Amino acid sequence: MSTTTAQSGLARARRGLAPGGPGGGPSNRKSKLSSQTRRTFFWLLLPSIVLLVLIHGYPLVYAGVQATHDGSLIDTGNFVGVENFGHVLSSPAFWKAAQFTLWFTIVGVFGSWLVGLGLALLLRTKIPAGGTFKILLLLPWVVPIVVSSTAWNWLVATPDSLIPSLFRSLGLGTPLFLADPNLAAVMVMAFKVWVSFPFMMMMISAALASVDTTVYEAASMDGASKWQQFSQITLPLIARSTYISWILMTIFCVNDFPTIYLLTGGGPVDATTSLVVLAYRTVFQDFQTGPGVAIAFLMTLTLVVVSVFLYRQIRKSSVE
Amino acid sequence: MTVQSEASSNFSRRGFLGLTAAAAAVPLLAACGGGSSSSSSGGGIKFWDMPWATPAYNDAAKKITEAYAPTGSNGKAGYQIIQWNNFYQTYSSAIASKTGPAVSTGGGFQAFQFEQQGQIAYADKVVEALKKNGQFDDFLPGVLEPFKSDKGYVAIPWQLDMRVFWYRKSLFDQAGVALPTDWASLLEAGKALKKIGAVGFGTGAGAGNNFGNHSMIMMMVNNGGGVFTKDGQLDVMNDRNVEAIEFLLELHSNGIIDPAAVSYTTDNMSAQWKDKKIGYGVFQAGAAERIGDTSGDFAVASPIAGPHGDKGTLVFPNNIMMYKNTPSQESSEAFLVYYMGQLKQLWQQKLMAALPVFKSITELPEFASNANNVKIVKEWQPIAKTFAAQGSTLNANLAVLDGGQALNQFTQTILTGKTDAKTALQAFKTGLESVIKK
Repeated sequence: MSTTTAQSGLARARRGLAPGGPGGGPSNRKSKLSSQTRRTFFWLLLPSIVLLVLIHGYPLVYAGVQATHDGSLIDTGNFVGVENFGHVLSSPAFWKAAQFTLWFTIVGVFGSWLVGLGLALLLRTKIPAGGTFKILLLLPWVVPIVVSSTAWNWLVATPDSLIPSLFRSLGLGTPLFLADPNLAAVMVMAFKVWVSFPFMMMMISAALASVDTTVYEAASMDGASKWQQFSQITLPLIARSTYISWILMTIFCVNDFPTIYLLTGGGPVDATTSLVVLAYRTVFQDFQTGPGVAIAFLMTLTLVVVSVFLYRQIRKSSVE
Repeated sequence: MTVQSEASSNFSRRGFLGLTAAAAAVPLLAACGGGSSSSSSGGGIKFWDMPWATPAYNDAAKKITEAYAPTGSNGKAGYQIIQWNNFYQTYSSAIASKTGPAVSTGGGFQAFQFEQQGQIAYADKVVEALKKNGQFDDFLPGVLEPFKSDKGYVAIPWQLDMRVFWYRKSLFDQAGVALPTDWASLLEAGKALKKIGAVGFGTGAGAGNNFGNHSMIMMMVNNGGGVFTKDGQLDVMNDRNVEAIEFLLELHSNGIIDPAAVSYTTDNMSAQWKDKKIGYGVFQAGAAERIGDTSGDFAVASPIAGPHGDKGTLVFPNNIMMYKNTPSQESSEAFLVYYMGQLKQLWQQKLMAALPVFKSITELPEFASNANNVKIVKEWQPIAKTFAAQGSTLNANLAVLDGGQALNQFTQTILTGKTDAKTALQAFKTGLESVIKK
């Protein structure tokens, strides 16, 4: 088989088309909805729109008011313009939290994706009791975070906890996993990956299930190696699902309060304080409502920018 | 393909962005959204209470509330438990929406925060009523005064959360060292305990654990210092505070403070006590019951003297407050007077770990049969000071100090040992200045 033929086969495979399958591109049928149908759709959607505006719109507007005032949760206080944003942006604590949030998100998204991908591929092969494994692997996602954080705490918190004892018995000293700022950061990220990989595994498993297995047979007949099949068929075919899972996990990570707060409370010495933890502490521990809500606004803005960027990647992958 | 299937197969940019924006707005919603919690009590007085002890406590408090038989035109009272989780937000949103309680317990400095915002009804008439029924004279010394502001009594104390030193007799026996009586002997005892693998100054500052914070201020107070001057001005850098923090750093550098304590939750700390890893340290009244060791091996120690002979500890006088938003101020006052008169039931039923505010309750056989309680009342209560030390009047700023980021960071810095006293105190002072309202 020529190289051209192999590439053509891989290109077809990337679009999820088996040999002999239909060769057309995406459907170009565009329904021209009548104005009456549009009106019907509008009236059907209206209750949901009103509900969404009430649920999301009001708090957003109110948060905007709080972020530009110097009051409390009860009294709005005086209008201070963007002073709260300036105060937050000039605070070293904000930038330290932003830096941790960035690392936490990068490790949380890609760490859980890599583990989830590996396990999804493993579970795709025929292994004994695969269904049972799948259920067991879902446990970190299913178990309430309060329970799992307590379990992790007891595994590492004191010098006599299981993991430090294990290290000691191996002659590796007694690491203070939650007391050392650097190790605490690593622990929180590892905990996030552990909690999140089942979500990634399920997303990838669903994407892999929709891939026609005959494309691999075709690629194999075309002489593609396992790595080529993985890198040029599997990954492109699940790219759309991957980008969506990255977007969702990015949002989950940036907004993740309990994982961090329950395990370390943001410490020691702010080593694991993320932006959402900082926002919480600023509002509810320091009672600085305006600056706290301003932090939340900045987080939201960043998330929208990141999400739009990743959304463009999805569209790009769809076009390709 | 039907319209429906085509619509579902198209990946709508607008729809996706809408969903993304909605999901991304979660922190904003979390930051500003407040679930209003209202309880109907049939037009009577709404009394909100916290889970101060086991559920049996709330059952008993509810019974007391529902047994209230008002006289004249006063309304009856309804009872509702408010969880500690986000309690300040719960109260704030309820008060803002005029659905809050008429009377409540709550955070130690909550009354002063809401007073600052004009929401608290002063309790002077309640104090007058307590004077008439004899309960005023029954208060333990120095318990009521901190609640008196220029405008009146902001709240009425009903229980005391005290920080005291506890010790393990068996570990001191094993180490062959006497109980400390001052800082110098605390250092020596700590070194002896370290030799047998035990901790000589047990504390903790992990997630949700305020004992570390309290240890810092307790040692300042023990040395005659404190965060504020007598007239309520910030006074973080005074010599006594510096000396106290230098001593704590000395304890740390000698391995007398557990290097992992910075991350200990309250449960971790309790487990360390239970497992006989801590020989001496800071805890609270009722700690023996809390860790499940009432054998007598785990007991309250006597107060120790600082290098200048000062003795002192921290107390958090928890209180009951009244709000302006009430169906009838007279009804609120009448209910509060009634409730204060029924408090002894809670100690008679042994439902409370904290100390009572009334001398008569400390003399109840159910309370006096506990040697640790008696020791705390006799030896620790008279020397106890509030977070307002060196001053005495409580205020809203203390809520920022207690559990705020400045004190948390300061405590954790000390417990990691990677600082010197003056640098840490200066950072603490700067942090407090940025959040305390002048």
